[in-house]
Amino acid sequence: MHNSDQGGRVSTRPSFMNPAAFLGIGALLAAVFALQEWVEVRQMSHHIDFTLLVKAWGVQYLLWGLICWGLWRFFGEELQKVSLFWAIAAVFPISILLSVVEEMVWVLCFPNLPLWMPHMNYWSRLLFQLRAELADGLVIFWCAFFLFRGVGYYQRFREKEAAAARLEVQLAQARLHAMRTNLNPHFLFNTLNSISSLMRSDVTAADLMLEQFSSLLRICLERGETQLIPLRDEMEFNEMYMAMQDRRFGGRIRQEIRVQPELHDALVPAMILQPILENAYQHGLSYLSESGLLKIEASKENTCVRLEVLNSGVGLNPGHKNGNNHNLGLVNVKDRLRLHYGENQSFSIKEVGQAQVLVSITLPLQLCEDPAQLLAEYGA
Amino acid sequence: MIPTILADDEILARQKLRHMLLEEKEIELVGESATTSETLGLVRREKPDLLFLDIRMHGKDAFDVVAELASDPYFPMPTIIFTTAHDSYALRAFEVHAADYLLKPFTSERLNIAIQRANLQIQSRQTHQPPLMAHANNNPYANRIVFKSRGRILFLPVSSIRWIGAEENYVRICTEGESYLLREPIGRLEEKLDPQLFLRVHRSSIVNLQFVKEVRTENTGESVVILLNGQKLSMSRSYKSRINEWLTHS
Repeated sequence: MHNSDQGGRVSTRPSFMNPAAFLGIGALLAAVFALQEWVEVRQMSHHIDFTLLVKAWGVQYLLWGLICWGLWRFFGEELQKVSLFWAIAAVFPISILLSVVEEMVWVLCFPNLPLWMPHMNYWSRLLFQLRAELADGLVIFWCAFFLFRGVGYYQRFREKEAAAARLEVQLAQARLHAMRTNLNPHFLFNTLNSISSLMRSDVTAADLMLEQFSSLLRICLERGETQLIPLRDEMEFNEMYMAMQDRRFGGRIRQEIRVQPELHDALVPAMILQPILENAYQHGLSYLSESGLLKIEASKENTCVRLEVLNSGVGLNPGHKNGNNHNLGLVNVKDRLRLHYGENQSFSIKEVGQAQVLVSITLPLQLCEDPAQLLAEYGA
Repeated sequence: MIPTILADDEILARQKLRHMLLEEKEIELVGESATTSETLGLVRREKPDLLFLDIRMHGKDAFDVVAELASDPYFPMPTIIFTTAHDSYALRAFEVHAADYLLKPFTSERLNIAIQRANLQIQSRQTHQPPLMAHANNNPYANRIVFKSRGRILFLPVSSIRWIGAEENYVRICTEGESYLLREPIGRLEEKLDPQLFLRVHRSSIVNLQFVKEVRTENTGESVVILLNGQKLSMSRSYKSRINEWLTHS
């Protein structure tokens, strides 16, 4: 069928515009008009055969139903697109022609009508009928015409809407994908470089870092493209990342992780905290010559999860204070949050206390439905 | 000295492990092999106490080697430490009573722990066990727990657990320096632990009695269990008589 859906597109010929609908509406109108005339004639104390009325009106409107369906079926798209000029120059004459033809057929079907009139030949009957019904015919035609146009507009609107929605989903997925693959290489090569550097000074430390890094990599590969993961897994990753950083800082940084137990299964975007931690080390903790603090806290707030990262260091630089944040890692975090949760999330970075920086994220609480059963077995 | 064989099809992997084993005083390397058939022949000839076994080698699967060795009930089965880049065989390795499961690359620190565990297994087999892994089934309680944590596979001896805390659907298993979060109801874990060694002291905690220093009633009237490292765990009244009983008997 030429009007079948193609690749999920919305058809310009919706299924409700089918022959049964056209004939059904025709029959309904016929019944209404037949009843109306019957009542009218009865009120004037005349008698009329109801079946004759039904037949006459029935043929009239079923003919129109057929005509309209034919117009829709064969010229629907042209009628939907036709310009004002051609509507007047071509469609209007056609409408008159079709109305006349319809009456010609009708008059042919009912040689005994009109009733209560002296006998007339075919042409005078047609003329009589046209005088009474031509305007009605035109009204029916133009109603159908505007209906077709309306259906066209409606369908195009639907299609545009569907296309926009599709595009939005694709865009969001593409962006999320790009961001995850952006995140990893940065972190990956920095770590490899650290290992390369350690190899020259401290083989044991390089070995340990390599082992830790392999573990991180193993977890990342296992996760694959999964965007949302249980907080427990996210925290495990952060613990590993922090353990790796800890070496570089020679244990000077006190690490604290506090997670409210009911949030272990809460879903969060994978590796959402890693850029924040990296930022905390790079722009805060690395400036400290003595002990520092890095604290992660996850708490439940009504229907939200609040994730907070606090680090000591040198406070915020002036760029941050003005809200002009050009740090790529943090911009990525914000973008990912927005793509996942729309306006239903928040991100803030501010200076608190003595040159400490607090990054705070809130996102809707959503629990993992079937947390993968972790490998755990008991034995001798 | 522990006569040891290492089996790995990668020359660099063997080289690394060989270097690392040189640092381990108890280990005496008696042979190396690169395929499963070589390994079978070598193990049968040398009858080592310890075998480092890569899982994917040329030829058959490493578990076929284990099965073939085990098919002879009079052959002295070596203690096995698996070394592999894949974490998916951990359960099978656990089931054949491997001493440990090392994910490549591993550090010498991690290797050392594995060797110590293997050593314990070797000693217990030499003193009072038949050659094969027969000691498994007469004890309904777990001696070890296997799980994945921070990208590693752990065959954790329950004796190294100090205490266990419930966190909603999870349990936190605390050892000397580490804590591990496992998705497991605390009740199920309790069933697996020998009540002679572990005691549920609260709705949300289990302690290893080996690490309990004392039980005390605080000024607030609350009972607490104090561990050898000074850590306090709160205690439900209903459990108090049981722990007191245990303390007076020991």
